[in-house]
Amino acid sequence: MITGTRKPMEEILAMIAPYRRVLVAGCGTCVAECASGGEKEVGLLASQLRMDSRLRKIPLEVGEITLDRQCVYEFIDQLTAFLEKYDAVLSLACGAGVQAVAEVFPSWVILPGLDTSFLGQTKQAGLWLENCRGCGECRLHMFAGVCPITRCAKKLFNGPCGGSQAGRCEVSPEAECAWHLILQRLESQNRLECLEEIYPACDWSRQQGRGPRRIQREDQRT
Amino acid sequence: MNPTSHLQQVLEGAHFAVTAECGPPKGADPQALREKAQKLKGYVDAVNVTDNQTAVVRLSSLASCVILKQMGFDPVLQMTTRDRNRIALQSDLLGASALGIQNVLCLSGDHVCFGSEPQALGVFDLDSVQLLYTARLMRDEGKLLGGADLSQPPKLFLGAVENPFADPLSFRARRLAKKVAAGAQFIQTQCVYNLERLRHWMNQVRELGLHEKAHIVAGVTPLKSARMARYMKERVAGMDLPEPILERMEKAPSNKQREEGLKIALETIEALRETPGIHGVHIMAIEWEEAVPELVERCGLLPRPPV
Amino acid sequence: MEPDQQFQFSVFFCQQLDPQQDLHSRELERVWGSRIRFFPMQCSGRVEALHLLKALEEGADRVLVLTCPEGRCRYKEGNLRVRKRLEYARSLLEEIGLEPLRLELRAAPAQGPRNIARILEPVLQEPWEHGPSPLRNGGVQGDLSPEGRNS
Repeated sequence: MITGTRKPMEEILAMIAPYRRVLVAGCGTCVAECASGGEKEVGLLASQLRMDSRLRKIPLEVGEITLDRQCVYEFIDQLTAFLEKYDAVLSLACGAGVQAVAEVFPSWVILPGLDTSFLGQTKQAGLWLENCRGCGECRLHMFAGVCPITRCAKKLFNGPCGGSQAGRCEVSPEAECAWHLILQRLESQNRLECLEEIYPACDWSRQQGRGPRRIQREDQRT
Repeated sequence: MNPTSHLQQVLEGAHFAVTAECGPPKGADPQALREKAQKLKGYVDAVNVTDNQTAVVRLSSLASCVILKQMGFDPVLQMTTRDRNRIALQSDLLGASALGIQNVLCLSGDHVCFGSEPQALGVFDLDSVQLLYTARLMRDEGKLLGGADLSQPPKLFLGAVENPFADPLSFRARRLAKKVAAGAQFIQTQCVYNLERLRHWMNQVRELGLHEKAHIVAGVTPLKSARMARYMKERVAGMDLPEPILERMEKAPSNKQREEGLKIALETIEALRETPGIHGVHIMAIEWEEAVPELVERCGLLPRPPV
Repeated sequence: MEPDQQFQFSVFFCQQLDPQQDLHSRELERVWGSRIRFFPMQCSGRVEALHLLKALEEGADRVLVLTCPEGRCRYKEGNLRVRKRLEYARSLLEEIGLEPLRLELRAAPAQGPRNIARILEPVLQEPWEHGPSPLRNGGVQGDLSPEGRNS
């Protein structure tokens, strides 16, 4: 999933300051899973904004809506009926959703309420960990299902650095050393020979070569 | 230009090599570097210049190497993959060779979060093994990583680092094998305080025959004080300083701690000379360059082979 | 309680706590009238930050969450989880400058009657230092017309 965290309140208040009628729009997919932009979070933020406006005696009308997805036109279209009543949309979607909504409604002000963070997994209730950078060339089969681009602070492809100790990363000791995990798993699979080969330099052009990437599938197009 | 660097000649001539480290200043003044290096004159075979170590901005490694070269030293250019992508790294390798700097130590580098610019982008386009591979490709096949031909290949003597004390221990020698296969001709180790663990690692290295494919130069850092020893033990990632060493430093009265540190370093160097497969020592006397001549002299490692 | 201190209370309570909760809540309602509102929950662990914020938004001065005694949650951890939710809700209040201590958690005493009226009576009688909610006098409804938009 794509994760995010709600922006600091001061930042949100500064963004919405010019507007009197704000629609807080959630997204029911990834950011709902990571408890930052789903229906509940829309409710919390809207409630906070209403109370704040009353405390500061500022006129503000706050609406709430949560779309199933903010990155697909059919779902974004659900906003059409509501937009006229609002001056701005405070979107709690990821950056992809905010941009997709802004593209569908180019004359409306669409504000980002989240700082989009990373592609990750729900490790435990309330704990999300980054595990994919979308490099465009997945090699997890080489690394026993642990991505060194994402999970090694130095993106090392050819074994651990000299700083890892007791399986922890020297850069952020709360993180497991990716190479410790890779070695452990390959050992348990009797596949340590995977590591003898020199892993060649990564082809970053697949990730950042020519600006935004696209996937086009004729069978899916109308 | 020599066909091979002085360091390469010393190591291949089966001498027990002595190198030292020289950290460039945090400023544009070359004099500070010259003064530091001057203390090493005649005592070492090569001077190793760090590349913005601990990710703190300093006078560039390549520029510092040129200054040392002008002083008559054989410099070792440290090159990290942290700050430059493969275009810049390959360009600098050509530049180093053109300036007569052939010894290149390839590392990934300390993470930016530890340094003076924690907001910087950590590049890590290549890792250290890939940098070694690239440098060897340029030298031996006259090609860039992208496949283009070079008008003239660089002359390079390639080194890598290894930490025999970092986890996972079982993989350390195999990782070294990878570096040697990628092109490392000499290996500089992390500071040795734990001789037992070093010997254990060297057994693995010898089993893989790596000591015959690359020259292993062991790192030695004399302890200046008990405080420094405790700091190294407790705060420096990847450092293995055994309790008895710390005890020795802490038992010594404060005005005798430097001498105790030197004694430990002397004993370590002696033990390293006895260890089969170790071809030299790299003395990293942090902000204590005077210790290098004294150690080299007291170890009976003088005179050094002529440049 | 002083007559000028006509506070509004919202009480979220765990239904496992009191088998005769309807009777007992009515007993308190008779005394406190519309100044007390009850929100029975199947378990205090069901209380979300949103419930607490809404209660304040809708006019409560003081929001009480009444849980089972520690270690006695029927669903094991409900009364532990609600503590974290309440802390989170408090942090949201802090962000907008509203007194976080308007939200309060009370665990029922391990020994004592399983009677929410008996448990709450002394709590409701306590002196309350945080005063009426500033939201009560807020209620501004300024110019919300499209012309008010100045983007």
